Formats: sequence, structure tokens, C-alpha cells
Amino acid sequence: MNYSYRRCGGNLSPEKQSEFRSLKTTHNATLGELERYKLLVDSVEDYAIFLLDADGYIQTWNKGAEKNKGYTANEIIGKHFSIFYLPTDIESSKPERELKLARQLGRVEDEDWRVRKDGSQFWANVVITALRDDHGNVVGFAKVTRDLTERKRNEDLLRSNNAQLKKQQRDLEALNISKDEFISLASHQLRTPATAVKQLLGMITQGFVGDMAPEQLSLVAKAYDANERQIRVVENLLRVAQLDARKVSLQTKPVNLRELFARIVEDHETLVAKKGQTIGLEFEDAVPTSSNLDADHFHMALSNLIDNASKYSQEGERISIAVGTKDDMLYVSVSDNGVGISPKDQKLLFKKFSRIPNDLSEKVGGSGLGLYWVKKVMAMHNGNVSVQSAEAKGSTFVLTVPLEGVDA
Amino acid sequence: MRKILVVEDEDLLRESYRIIISTEPYDVDTAKNGQEALDKCAEKTYDLILLDLMMPVLDGVGFLERFDNPDTKVVILSNLSTGEVLEKALKLGADSNIIKASLSPRDLLSKVRYEVTSIT
Repeated sequence: MNYSYRRCGGNLSPEKQSEFRSLKTTHNATLGELERYKLLVDSVEDYAIFLLDADGYIQTWNKGAEKNKGYTANEIIGKHFSIFYLPTDIESSKPERELKLARQLGRVEDEDWRVRKDGSQFWANVVITALRDDHGNVVGFAKVTRDLTERKRNEDLLRSNNAQLKKQQRDLEALNISKDEFISLASHQLRTPATAVKQLLGMITQGFVGDMAPEQLSLVAKAYDANERQIRVVENLLRVAQLDARKVSLQTKPVNLRELFARIVEDHETLVAKKGQTIGLEFEDAVPTSSNLDADHFHMALSNLIDNASKYSQEGERISIAVGTKDDMLYVSVSDNGVGISPKDQKLLFKKFSRIPNDLSEKVGGSGLGLYWVKKVMAMHNGNVSVQSAEAKGSTFVLTVPLEGVDA
Repeated sequence: MRKILVVEDEDLLRESYRIIISTEPYDVDTAKNGQEALDKCAEKTYDLILLDLMMPVLDGVGFLERFDNPDTKVVILSNLSTGEVLEKALKLGADSNIIKASLSPRDLLSKVRYEVTSIT
């Protein structure tokens, strides 16, 4: 358009002429702005931005639309926008439904598959906005489409990987449970005959069925000891399997600490006396009379440490147990002057099936499960087990559990 | 003479326990499950029953549910050291629990002696 004040009449008053010039400047500025705006929309490459008329026919087309959908402006302007939808969506009147919704709500957003000119599909994020005139009548729609195929593909991949991982996790958990059940069952089955062997050999070694030549008796005694070791291994296996299968629950109740420790020491005195060893028990004054504990678990954990101290110490040594408190925790240390454990081996000590090679380990046997069980059971108590040791310098194992003071 | 009933399904163990306990002057009978034990108890009142828990036909808990004789002391002789079955058995009136696998013949005998002498 060419506005010329001369064509509008050259006989305007100077005031009118000035007003006319000012209007012309504003008009040209608006036109310039529109032009720039059109250029901006046209040049956007990542978004398809175009206008539809009130019936859904395409009126404008930008670079992003061309890139995204594969049509040139000449090919597509004047066509109905349903051309971008899947045949099944067209059949179900989805394009019309979306325009209707945009008309009612002002705006509609959708994420779904759309079709390019070459028939290939892409995952689109589509926003359709209704455009209204001054009277509120819908005169057309602005449509902005983004190609999110790559994001969708990544999301799908992630989802499928996730589902696969979850399935693998479920499979592994099921496998782990059946492993624990197998160990549990096998241990039960192994223990019954081992218990019978213990009675039968015990009847011979303990003289229930008459006397035997010393050489014969010594062989039977060895068989008895070997069977004892087997029973211990089977019991440790069973205990660990039950713990791993979470079939163990804490039974805490107020326990008289001095009585509990005295009983535990008493239970072991006969055994360590066989190696000429003794057990010393010391209590700090600050230790309360009783605390909430699972006495059975604590008994077994401490027994384990005392057994180890005895096994890995030479004959005649003393095992010292000290009971104290610090920061609301109960500390129980078991110290020996035995073979000790190198720093390297200490790291393996509480792992399942770890056996530390030393001068006595071949002789004493073991399942490599005892300390693993202690660690796990102490964790159940919100406690811990730790070790301080050096080779040939003895070891100190410390059990810690929260003191839940009862009638202290 | 004190009367003792050993209830144990494992033949070797049952026979061993019988031989071991019989070395002292006790009247020892055996049963291989809870049902057999109930049958024996119907004929005779025992001072002490050593009762295994895991047995076919009728297990230890099943036996305790049906058995009611205040003159008889029942001691569990099983390999269970914790768990529901053991707790149930103790609730049903069993007096105490002995772990089979930890017991040598001499230990067994001294336990029996202890249990029998503590009967009033």
C-alpha cells in the first residue's frame, strides 16, 4: 500500500497535514513490526508454526513446518490440517474434536503420533490456540507443533530398560529366596543325620557301650570332633540363610546385663578350659543393671567372638571381656593374645564365606559365616562389630549396641 | 522308677536316646510321632516326655494341643532354637527346650537327671 497525503487531498490545513504525517509514521512502524514478526515466525526451524482458518484449512507455513512435516508452502497451503493425522485418528474425528475443544477452551494441547509427507511418523507435541476477532468469534487457529520423537524414543528406551531392570531384580530376588530356602532345607536335612552320628559316636567315646582299645577310641574321638565341626558349619549356614531370608525378627526385652554376661562366660568356661584358657569378665561401674536386648542374639554373637578368641589363641592364654558404656551405647570387647589379623585380612573378616589364612585356621576349621552373621545381627540391633588387631599381637573385637536404659 | 517317654521320628536318634537314658534306672519308652505318643500316654502316665517338634503324622505342637496331663513334664528336644513353632510349643505347656545337635550323650543324661529330680 502506498499512502500519499497528496492523493488524500492537498488542501488540508497545516494541523491536519501534521496529524496525517504522524498517523502515517505510526502505520509504517506497525507494518514494520508485523513484517519483522512474520520474519521471526518464518525463520523458526525447531517449531512448526502456522495458521488455520476457522474450518481447519492451512493458511500460512513457516520454515519449521516445512522441515518438520516435509511439505513446502505451495504444496500445503489450502489443504486441511487433518492431513497430518494418522488414518485411525482421522476415522475417529480427532482433528475435528481438537478444533472443537480449542474453540471451547481457547487452547488444546496433545502429544501423539503424526504423519509427515513421506508417510513416516513422528511424536508430536501440538498446541492449537483459537484466534478471535473483536466480537469474540473464532476466525482461525494458531498451531504450534514440535517434533519430540527423539525424546519419546529415549523415554521409551528408558522405560523399557527400567522395566527390564525391575524384572531382573524380581527374578534375582526370587532366585535369592529359593537359594536361601534351599540352604535352609539342605541344612535341616544335613543336621538330622549329623545329630544321630553325634549320639552314636558319643556313646562310644563316652563309654556308654563298653570299653575300647585306646587306638580305636582315638579314631572314634576324631570322627566325633569332625562331626562336631560339620554340625557347627551346618548350623551357621542355617542361621545365615534365615537371616538373609529375613526370617529372623528381634525379640527385645529388658535383660539383666550382669546376669546375661555371667551366663555367657559360664557357658564357655568348660570349653576354653580344654585348651587351658581362662575368661576374665570386667564391668565398668556406669553399666546399667538392665537394657532392652534380644538376649538370644546377643548370646550367640558374643559366643561367636569368644569361640574365635579361643580357637585363634594358643593354649593357656586368657580371654578378656570388658563391658562398658559410651554415648548411650553398650560396648562389649573381647580381647585375646592370639595369632591376630593383618589389616588386609581385616577387610575380609566380616564378608560371607571369608576365611583368613593363619597358623591356626587350617587346624580349627570353620564356615566363614560366623562373623558375617554377627555383623548382620548387630546391624539389626542398630549396633556394630569392629576389630582392632595386628599379626601376632592378638585381636580385640568390639560389639556395640544402643543402650535402651531400663531401671538403670 | 521314673517313667520317661522319648518322642522322636529319626530311628537312629530314638534308639540312641533309649540306650543312653536306659543306662540309668529309668523306665524308658519310645514313640516315633505325636500320635504314637498320645497312644502310649493313654496307657501310662509318664513323669517326663522328651518331645521332638518336627515329625510326620502328628508333630510336636499337634501332640501338645491334644495332650493334657499336669503330672507329666514335657521338655522339647529339637533342633529349633528360635521361631514360631518353638514359641507355640512353649505356650502350649512345654517346660523348656533342649537343642539336640548341641547335646552329647553325657549332656543328655545329665539333662534328664536334672529334669527328673526337679519334678516335685
